[in-house]
Amino acid sequence: MKKLLTAVLIAAIGIGSIFANGQNEKTSQTDSKVTIKVANYALLENGYEEYWKGIKTGFETENPNITIEWVTAPYGEISNQVINMAGGGDKVDCIFAELGWIPGFEDAGLAAPVEDILPQEFIDDFYPDVMKSFEIDGVAYGIPLYVSPYVLYYNRTLFEQAGLDPNTPPTTYEEMLEDAKSLSKLKDSNGNPVYAFGQTTASVPVSGSSIQGMIFNFGGHTLAADGSLDCDNQGFYDAFRMLKELDEKGYNPQNAKLKDLRNLFALGQLAMYYDQSWGFNGIQSINPDAKSFIASAAPLKGGNGNGQSKLESHCFVLVDNGEARADATSKFVQYVISEKGLSDYLANLTPAYPARKSMADISGVVNNPVLKGASGSVSNVTASPAIAQLNDLNLELCSLAQAVTVGNEDVDAAIADFKKVTNAKLSD
Amino acid sequence: MKKGSQKLSDNAYSFVLTIPAVVLTVSFIVVPIIQSIIMSFEKYGVKNIISGKKGTWNNFRNYTKLFETGQIPEAAWHTIVFVIFVIIFQFILGMALALILNRDFKGSRFVRSIMMTPWVVPTVISGLIWMWLFQPQYGFVKYLISFVTNGRVNDLAILNNPSTALGGIAVAALWKQIPLMTLLLLAGLQNVPSDILEAATIDGAGPVKRFFSITIPFMAPVIKIAVSMEIIENFKQFPLFWTMTGGGPNGSTTNFAILSYREAFVSMNLGSGAAVTTIWMILMIIVVGSYQKAFIVQDMS
Amino acid sequence: MNKKKWPKVLRAVIMIGILLFLLFPIYWMLITAFKTNMEAYLYPPSLYPQHAVLDGFINLFTENNEFFVYYINNFYVSFASALITCVIAIFAGYSIARFHTKWNKVFMAILLSSQMFPIVSRMISLYSLMSKAGIINTRYGLILAIVAAQIPFCCLLLSSFFMNIPREIEEAAYVDGASRNTILFKLITPLVTPGILAVGIYAFLMTWDDYLHAATLIQSDELRTLSVGITLRYLGELSYDWSLINCISVIGTIPMVLVFFFFQKYMVKGLVAGAVKG
Repeated sequence: MKKLLTAVLIAAIGIGSIFANGQNEKTSQTDSKVTIKVANYALLENGYEEYWKGIKTGFETENPNITIEWVTAPYGEISNQVINMAGGGDKVDCIFAELGWIPGFEDAGLAAPVEDILPQEFIDDFYPDVMKSFEIDGVAYGIPLYVSPYVLYYNRTLFEQAGLDPNTPPTTYEEMLEDAKSLSKLKDSNGNPVYAFGQTTASVPVSGSSIQGMIFNFGGHTLAADGSLDCDNQGFYDAFRMLKELDEKGYNPQNAKLKDLRNLFALGQLAMYYDQSWGFNGIQSINPDAKSFIASAAPLKGGNGNGQSKLESHCFVLVDNGEARADATSKFVQYVISEKGLSDYLANLTPAYPARKSMADISGVVNNPVLKGASGSVSNVTASPAIAQLNDLNLELCSLAQAVTVGNEDVDAAIADFKKVTNAKLSD
Repeated sequence: MKKGSQKLSDNAYSFVLTIPAVVLTVSFIVVPIIQSIIMSFEKYGVKNIISGKKGTWNNFRNYTKLFETGQIPEAAWHTIVFVIFVIIFQFILGMALALILNRDFKGSRFVRSIMMTPWVVPTVISGLIWMWLFQPQYGFVKYLISFVTNGRVNDLAILNNPSTALGGIAVAALWKQIPLMTLLLLAGLQNVPSDILEAATIDGAGPVKRFFSITIPFMAPVIKIAVSMEIIENFKQFPLFWTMTGGGPNGSTTNFAILSYREAFVSMNLGSGAAVTTIWMILMIIVVGSYQKAFIVQDMS
Repeated sequence: MNKKKWPKVLRAVIMIGILLFLLFPIYWMLITAFKTNMEAYLYPPSLYPQHAVLDGFINLFTENNEFFVYYINNFYVSFASALITCVIAIFAGYSIARFHTKWNKVFMAILLSSQMFPIVSRMISLYSLMSKAGIINTRYGLILAIVAAQIPFCCLLLSSFFMNIPREIEEAAYVDGASRNTILFKLITPLVTPGILAVGIYAFLMTWDDYLHAATLIQSDELRTLSVGITLRYLGELSYDWSLINCISVIGTIPMVLVFFFFQKYMVKGLVAGAVKG
């Protein structure tokens, strides 16, 4: 029955596909010319377009027989796009991705082990601790361009106005709550209230990831080593109690996305918040003067935790499309993740920490005032077990955070609900 | 006339004329619907898309999971509350405006045409306009409420609060849909014979009585169609929800459309998404069917 | 006298209230488009732009001009869909109105039930079917999928116009020896021009408004249409730019408003006819 129906459809649009074929890609492969497809959402983001275009020209001049073809889709859609293209038999070679996407690509059978494509000596130059976050069952499925924990950004000017020392940002949640008392009394120049502390909770996967970072701050965890849900620990409960307290005191903008927080922070209406180091780019695009008041600090310590955070990274996920394309992809990756490829980018566009040992001394990074305060915290991170349903888990964490904040639910009851739903979602 | 032979070619000719429409509807609507119902009983995920492998039967797991997590009852509740709320207010406000515009007054033609503007604003843009009005820090509605309540309520963030977010989307939906409802009801009002209305006035029937015993019955066919169109439209509503809240906060605006889209295209669990749409379609058929039945019964009485 | 004035005042108040609700958001969109971002973020908000600027529009034309790619795509897709829908609706609408065959009963049932199915449920499997047929991520495929979605309503709408044409006209021509095609295309079709316009405009407006089809069936940025382009690109992860978004909203709405006001007569007639009879 199903076959028949499919046949009907295919026959019905068969005539049309004659037209359509004209638009399909023309990858005529002569021996020497190779085209690699790189999926990259950043080409659609305002600040980054120029950089990536420069990479393409630079790389193609150096390797005249290789052409880069960008596959673009916006941030929220790029994974679907890559998967859908693969479903149509058209696999990209390289995906500019986030750490959290790797398990999904691996589970889909798309991501290749990096050691299959990149030379070993190149991989060996990356910090082993950092590479741990990219491993699934001991095999790395992504190679980082740069990394960042969730750093605490704070507004020096607001700290001064509140009578606090801008050089001693809080180090624990208790200190933060203490500082927040005076910070939350401030008004900006238009008379708008100032929020003291921002933690994103809106329903997007990256918010869930950030909440996981907060759970690590408290020494808690969400998943057991085998990838099953394991949230009956003090740190997990503490983190959500803290979110509830922040909400009740009105310190945290409700139901905010990271970009909302960046917006508020850029306008001087948010005193501290957690973000990836490259969130600075978003801040600067709203307020070009942001450099004058922004500073960073290590993630806060909470409860019995020692302020560990979660590593985030922009990385390349590689796909094996046969030797010729794999070789070209390998060249491309090595071209980008190098001092030449990244130092300007890291110094001016996207403050972040390099992941290669040989790049540790890039001056633009070492002296970057935006990065300085939190520089030690890259190594103080917890690697979370990779599970294929990571997106679902992250979204459920957001829902839980919303339940205890805007939903005014009791923390214990909300966590019980969370366990029920999440267990069902992770079950297959 | 040679009736026999013409009849035969009638059949053939009318059949040929419908072919393009049939081919398109069958291949782009009927087949996919049937396939998605089949898929709802299967484990069908990213791997199947990439490898092109068929889904595997998974023993109603898609369905049991959706009920275990309570997502289906919740989505059904949000969908139905939204539909009822929007339809009631839309009907009342649309009818009020139609009754007023049905009288000729200076500028009534102008008002009739200008009031249609929201209807032609693309849905996604309507969502954006209302998001901006509802913006929690600088939004106009926050200002308005704070002004009206004299500063007692000055932190209104409709879309961020689970108990009001659905209402916020409903306001945007009303804004976009009232014009069409008014237009259709205005057309229906033309069907109400004025001589009967006048006769009733002479007999001493007040405006309220005239409205319920003459105007409404004469307009019944139009009302029935207009309301059922809007029920279907709001039952299926996706873009407003997706742009304004994406289903949040805390799932308080997750209707069937959002749930199925998220399951299928965000979690990439197509089997589960198909299970949501299957339940959704069944519920929709029940609601629309019983609505039409109720109307037929009323017509007869 | 006083007693008579009351309902009049009440009516005026209600009308102005509803009109304010309907029109104020449009005003707000317009003036925000002319504000700077810094002024847009002012609270309490200013009721008219204190320094009207064209920054948003200039930005749109110079820096964010991929918007116009979406815009042109949207025109292309909407126009093509409207055209194809009209042609198909003429065939099918005539058939339904003129011939009451058994097949047409089945056909009507297919049309009526198709109207009810939510788009998402189709998208889930349409996606894989269309990739197999090789028309995913093409304009051609998108247009076909959208046309299919418009057909049920449009066929029924147009058939209500065909029903109003007296049969005698046809029969006279038939006796004169005109072929069936001549009758349909040369004789009958011109008589339902208002209906065709109504269908065409309706299909145009609905396609202009489409979100879900384009969101799932199109993946390359250069083929993307307006609604999807806006949500994906301008509600990106970095930040909101509200004055830019409002500029986009203004420009995205203008064609719809123009089309509607130019063809209002047909549109209103057509919709009413379709709704009352269909």
